[in-house]
Amino acid sequence: MPNHISEWIEDSISYFPMFFDDPYDTGDLIGDSWWVEGQNLEQDLIDDSFITNSSMTSATLPPAPAPAPAPTDSTISLDSMKKRKLADDLNSMKPRKTTNKRANAQDLGRESPEQGLVVARKQGGNKKGSKAAGNGSNGNNKEGRWAEQLLNPCAAAVTARNPSRVLHFLYVLHDLASLSGDANHRLSFYGLCALKHHVSSAPGSSFSASTDGKTFASSNPKFFTDSLIKFNDISPWFRIPNNVTNTAILQLLAEQAQPSNLHILDIGVSHGVQWPTLLEELTRRAGGPPPLVRLTVVAPAAMNDLSRNTAPFANGPPDYDFSSKLLSFAKDLNVNLQINRLENLQLQNLNSQLIKSSAEEILVVCAQFRLHNLTHGITDDRTKFLKVLRSLSPKGVILCENNTDCSCINCGDFATGFSRRVEYLWRFLDSTSIAYKGRESEERRMMEAEAAKVLINSGEMNERKEKWCDRMRHAGFTGDVFGEETIDGAKALLRKYDSNWEIRVEDRDGCVGLLWRGQPVSFCSLWKMDSAA
Amino acid sequence: MAMLMDLDFTSFGYSGTTTTTTTTGSALSDDGCNWNAWSPVVDWEALSGGQEDFHNLVDSMMDESDFGLQGLNVRPNIDIEEECHYLYNATTTDHDESNGPEDLKGMRLIHLLVAAAEALEGTNKCHELARVILVRLRELVSPKQGTNMERLAAYFTDALQGLLDGGGKCGGNHLYKAEHHPTDVLAAFQLLQDVSPYVKFGHFTANQAILEAVTHDKRIHIVDYDIMEGIQWASLMQALVSRKDGPATPHLRITALSRSCGGRRSFSTIQETGRRLTAFAASIGQPFSFHQCRLDSDETFKPSNLKLVRGEALIINCMLHLPHFSYRAPNSIASFISGAQTLGPRLVTLVEEEIGPTGEEGFVGRFMDSLHHYSAIYDSLEAGFPMQGRARTLVERVFLGPRISGSLARIYRGGGEEEGCSWGQRLAACGFCPTNISFANHCQAKLLIGLYNDGYRVEESSINKLVLGWKSRRLLSVSIWSSKDNES
Repeated sequence: MPNHISEWIEDSISYFPMFFDDPYDTGDLIGDSWWVEGQNLEQDLIDDSFITNSSMTSATLPPAPAPAPAPTDSTISLDSMKKRKLADDLNSMKPRKTTNKRANAQDLGRESPEQGLVVARKQGGNKKGSKAAGNGSNGNNKEGRWAEQLLNPCAAAVTARNPSRVLHFLYVLHDLASLSGDANHRLSFYGLCALKHHVSSAPGSSFSASTDGKTFASSNPKFFTDSLIKFNDISPWFRIPNNVTNTAILQLLAEQAQPSNLHILDIGVSHGVQWPTLLEELTRRAGGPPPLVRLTVVAPAAMNDLSRNTAPFANGPPDYDFSSKLLSFAKDLNVNLQINRLENLQLQNLNSQLIKSSAEEILVVCAQFRLHNLTHGITDDRTKFLKVLRSLSPKGVILCENNTDCSCINCGDFATGFSRRVEYLWRFLDSTSIAYKGRESEERRMMEAEAAKVLINSGEMNERKEKWCDRMRHAGFTGDVFGEETIDGAKALLRKYDSNWEIRVEDRDGCVGLLWRGQPVSFCSLWKMDSAA
Repeated sequence: MAMLMDLDFTSFGYSGTTTTTTTTGSALSDDGCNWNAWSPVVDWEALSGGQEDFHNLVDSMMDESDFGLQGLNVRPNIDIEEECHYLYNATTTDHDESNGPEDLKGMRLIHLLVAAAEALEGTNKCHELARVILVRLRELVSPKQGTNMERLAAYFTDALQGLLDGGGKCGGNHLYKAEHHPTDVLAAFQLLQDVSPYVKFGHFTANQAILEAVTHDKRIHIVDYDIMEGIQWASLMQALVSRKDGPATPHLRITALSRSCGGRRSFSTIQETGRRLTAFAASIGQPFSFHQCRLDSDETFKPSNLKLVRGEALIINCMLHLPHFSYRAPNSIASFISGAQTLGPRLVTLVEEEIGPTGEEGFVGRFMDSLHHYSAIYDSLEAGFPMQGRARTLVERVFLGPRISGSLARIYRGGGEEEGCSWGQRLAACGFCPTNISFANHCQAKLLIGLYNDGYRVEESSINKLVLGWKSRRLLSVSIWSSKDNES
């Protein structure tokens, strides 16, 4: 064909273009993926060294359980292999105890070869933590938390009834949401499901289906227990509250002049995994275990199917029952244990008859992450329930709760509540991505999906610590401080976890706060009956 | 109509051996498609995607704010429900055979691009989010393949990445263009010229206005702001030598403004252009002389640098923003316009890009408009070369990609303000008067457009301005102006 422009331009061009062969410069793309691969490689190396070190630790150390030098808590699994792990934990804590609170990994490293192993392991963990904090993508700053920059404006658009904006964000979220990848991708995934759930016409139907349905309630009991134990092993999210609760029970027992029966009212989400440790600690007490230990477990009541499904961490698999295993464990330890389980009971309907409490026993109430499901709005079930607790005349109440602002519809519009729930979930996902070292597993999937139920939970999730303290005082309780052993034990235990975790004890109210990257996650508080009231 | 007949399309074949008409005409039919010679295999991808009109997607997105709100007060959640339901259903049938998924992917890309722009600037600014979205976009699109929307999205992705990485510091697209091989640039220009009316619409309409303004003149002096390869003047010379009324072939003098800094591609240096024009004029018997006038180092224009001769009809020709043109700094254009005003020219011809009215202000609003604009251009090029995916890709790579980058960088730097005002308005403000576009000129433009795809249209937006559009989107305009003293 005639190339008239070529002719017009004449001899400026010596040959005609071979542009079909043009190698379009994809340097950027290649560069990117190369970089990402490099990152993964580095990460794997770190992880591998971590594993090597920790397996070395358990291989070198004798499997015999060390005598516990101090009140400590370690989740005991119900099989022997896990007991060995407990031994590791106890061993690794021992030197810290002897070198006191100022001890750090480097000090320990100079002391003995055995502790050197511990140090190696600790450093592996630290490196991971600081790396994650350093790269910024998981940081606590607004820049790194990009998923919230889509989820919160989307919720705001829902509140503002602006469908085109909502749709815009849903489109974008849809493309960035993923059940794998970093915490932002995961948060996008769960946030997207929740937003679709919210704007869809059939509430309650699609959320669990769209999140794969792999929550506590849909798992098999064995997998559920293993996952929970593993989670407690790698994340202090529940482990620290469990630990503080257990040592506080010991503290309350120690305050009694003569041995009495212990009665624990378990209103919690630990699904039994916190109790083996307590039983062990009881056997190590100076006076031995109490003559009788009664455990009354208040299972979450199903107000209706929806709320039953959406309260995070409260509902285990339907056929899950830890009683028999715990009883046989108690038998091995020579602890006289009775377990009573109350099903389908509204918390505010509790009374002494139902839990069969008596004046002679020491009643301790352990309320962990359950009370926030009580409404505080027009019908103030929270205050009502706290008054019920007071009427039981417990020796102590240990209240552990999320330390976040309330996300109920009375305390803010949808967008406000949603952003608070999202923030709660961000902290969970951000911490689990480090706890699981960025690796995918069914266990991680289940834990995260369970936490994600917060986004559609009809309950309030929580009020701040200060409000709970006000309520407790109003109900006739007075705040008590945790013993030094409790706090030292919790701090020692926390060293096992990522360095972004932190425990802060408030002088003002004596509460033990658990923080992730400097942001409050939960608090534990100890209460006794106000004798003046 | 005499002038129109003189400007019969045959005369626009620059070599004289073939006609442009043949080329453009054949480009519309599959059999006689010249570009098959360029393409070793049939581009099935382009063929199958040929019917897609993603431009509508952009349109519908721009309209969303209107349609989505109806009935909202009556049933608060219903629209959100329905739309989300649609989204949900649509996304679960990703691999459907119908056009739906392609449209859906187009929508996804637009939403991602807009979200990335929002993350770069604005109330929810979050560069990490922009980075993540761009990573996702790179997974989804490539400038070399895929549908129109996908390739366009790839260039916008590149442009946004540039802003994210460098804050939009390296904007000028002439730098970009220097990276391409001159032969690629030439080939791309030829493709653009043959299958779309963008270049010819501007040149022909301006030339027709010039011819009408100098009917009785013996000497014509054209001051050309950006002469490029000079192809505009070849057709004017042919028209001048063949004109039947008025004096014998007038003398034509062209002064090309040149930039002090180099870096232009070799085939379009001013000297080369002058040499070619001189040779061409000699070959057809057109009395001709060629001059250069340097702009100052800051690219401003000084009228005193211009050599003027009494008795010459002075024409100011200002071609801006043609798809293959380099970016020119607004200061430079402004100095040319105000300088020209002091010279009292017979006629000013101005070609410039049309900028859509934007609802949203700031970077995001201008970004959306830019997306709209280039999506229309991409659509029109696809309609022009339905069979030639690779050829289209070349035009996109050489001209449009760099333009997109440059344009977004300027919008980003200027916070959306810089490019908001049209140069026509500036001419009016400088005291130039609108000059009527003749009926013949209007007809010629319509005839020209008729040779291309049905989607093009010409609109007389005011008495002195013709606008070339693709479907509902205005793209390019020609306006003609005169000094007050020349008005008769």
